[in-house]
Amino acid sequence: MATATITASSAPAAPKVKAPAIPLAQRFLRVTHLLFLVLLGVQFIPDHASVTEAHTSWLIGFAVIVEAFTLAITPLFKKKEGLNLFLDIIGFIYGFLILWTIFTAKTALLPAALFPPFGKILAQTAEDAPKILINIKSSVGIILQGFILALLAAVPLGLILGWNARLGGAATYLSKFFSSIPPIVYIPYGIALLPTFRSVSVFVIFLASFWPVFAGTMSGVLHVDSKILDSAKVLNVSKPTMLLNVILPASLNQIFLGCNQGLSVSFILLTSAEMIGARDGMGYYVKYYSDFGDYTRTIVGLLVIGIVVIGVTFLVNRLQNYLLRWKK
Amino acid sequence: MSAAVALQTVPKIEVKHLTVNYAEKNRMFTALRDVNFTVEEGEFVSVIGASGCGKSTLLSVLEGLYKQADGEITISGKPLDGTGKERGVVFQHYSLFPWMTTRKNIAFGIAQVRKDLTKKQRLELADTFLEKVGLGEFGNKYPSQLSGGMQQRAAIARALAMDTEILLMDEPFSAIDAKNRIVLQELLLKLWEGDGKEPRKSVVFVTHDIDEAILLSDKIVVLTAHPGTVAEIIPVPFARPRDRKTLVQTPEYAEFRSHLLHLFYNDIAERIGGEEVVL
Repeated sequence: MATATITASSAPAAPKVKAPAIPLAQRFLRVTHLLFLVLLGVQFIPDHASVTEAHTSWLIGFAVIVEAFTLAITPLFKKKEGLNLFLDIIGFIYGFLILWTIFTAKTALLPAALFPPFGKILAQTAEDAPKILINIKSSVGIILQGFILALLAAVPLGLILGWNARLGGAATYLSKFFSSIPPIVYIPYGIALLPTFRSVSVFVIFLASFWPVFAGTMSGVLHVDSKILDSAKVLNVSKPTMLLNVILPASLNQIFLGCNQGLSVSFILLTSAEMIGARDGMGYYVKYYSDFGDYTRTIVGLLVIGIVVIGVTFLVNRLQNYLLRWKK
Repeated sequence: MSAAVALQTVPKIEVKHLTVNYAEKNRMFTALRDVNFTVEEGEFVSVIGASGCGKSTLLSVLEGLYKQADGEITISGKPLDGTGKERGVVFQHYSLFPWMTTRKNIAFGIAQVRKDLTKKQRLELADTFLEKVGLGEFGNKYPSQLSGGMQQRAAIARALAMDTEILLMDEPFSAIDAKNRIVLQELLLKLWEGDGKEPRKSVVFVTHDIDEAILLSDKIVVLTAHPGTVAEIIPVPFARPRDRKTLVQTPEYAEFRSHLLHLFYNDIAERIGGEEVVL
């Protein structure tokens, strides 16, 4: 009987290798949550006499939502490093808000016109939300249009020229010359060429994105492993199959490098252009209200631009990781 | 001579007076000099030799990838011209495309030779060949998720699924560990020998492993280096189907092997006496 038990237990199913679970205390007893409580506690200090619009309830509401979100996704982390990073970032936000509250609403040590209490920034964001959405739509719409046009032109052209050794050599030098021109200087010429601010913006963003994507595609094609090319050649693939099913996926990493570069230049360009001559867009929003000395809305604009750029970058990275999921 | 006899005597591959010169840093370098051999229909021919004997150059000429060669090469009597659909290739590395799953890699290979099949039929055919090489459960894995041995299995599956008359294999098992190499050799032997109902493929198999060459081949072409020339073409006298374990115990095997080793070492000894030492 005893022997049988031993035999049975000595041949268990292959154990699954699991990362050690993070203990509950390590998950939830963290300095970040202490900072949250401090942030709430600080709000009980009476506002400085000169401060009229602190909108403390907005700040408390914001902090509670952030904390609820933090607690909700804490159990989802599998690795300790990931959880630490996430909680550290939230901790920094709380710390920043504590200092911001003390130096603005509570002591008025910073001039109120330039440094509005954070609650006021939140309240203003909510009030302007419809206007902000229209501006985001305008900015992102222009960037997408210019950028997608650039992709559609640069990737096929880069593939064909990169694959053709002789034309590729010439194109590399030409693209070096054109990409060295800061795209912002195309704006005055664009204004002369095209009728509306929108079309000028799309044109400039097209130029700004085209060269990095084109250069990335060319360099991707030129650096495809010769063993991969040999493998395709001995399969007798047709020219279009070679370009679309072999060279394109093999160059994808470099193409994305060009895309990321093109996108970040596009955002810089567009917001600059919007500050010069637009009636819409996030750059316009920032410039317009700072001209009136409304620095609450200026800060709102800065923060929203940051969030939009991060959001777009995040989506592009997700797409990149998905399309390159076959890489180690 | 009658036409029928003439047809029978056309070899699958015929290499006549093949010479390959490389220009390297303003210096001419002869990789292969006056190489002659034939591969008959359904014959398994190994090309062996020490590193630098030009055996891989020889195979890239047969693949159609290397074109600056002098001499005459015919495939079924027709002059060789570039790559061709009648030749399937397995390389030492990177036969597979890293961005395609294993079954899509195989289906992609099939698609290049069988335009008549639908996508679904190609994938089904790919699955049957994955089963044959023991990768039935790994069809949806990417090559980077497989071991080197599994990648070579998949590469063999693709070459077989394309059902080409000729298989060219360039040191396909050289990068595999000793234990898995034996498993793969036996798998290849089994798949190539088949059940006797279908005609066997003509194979040119490049290797530097003497035992591998003896186990697999009908005929061994021994190359010596600097420049690469044929030292000897030796028919392998052992009957098929072959079994490694019984084969290696026979005195005939030992004698045959020592003859091949002698050709190898002669080559190396000559080079030690000369200007270059490769060991």
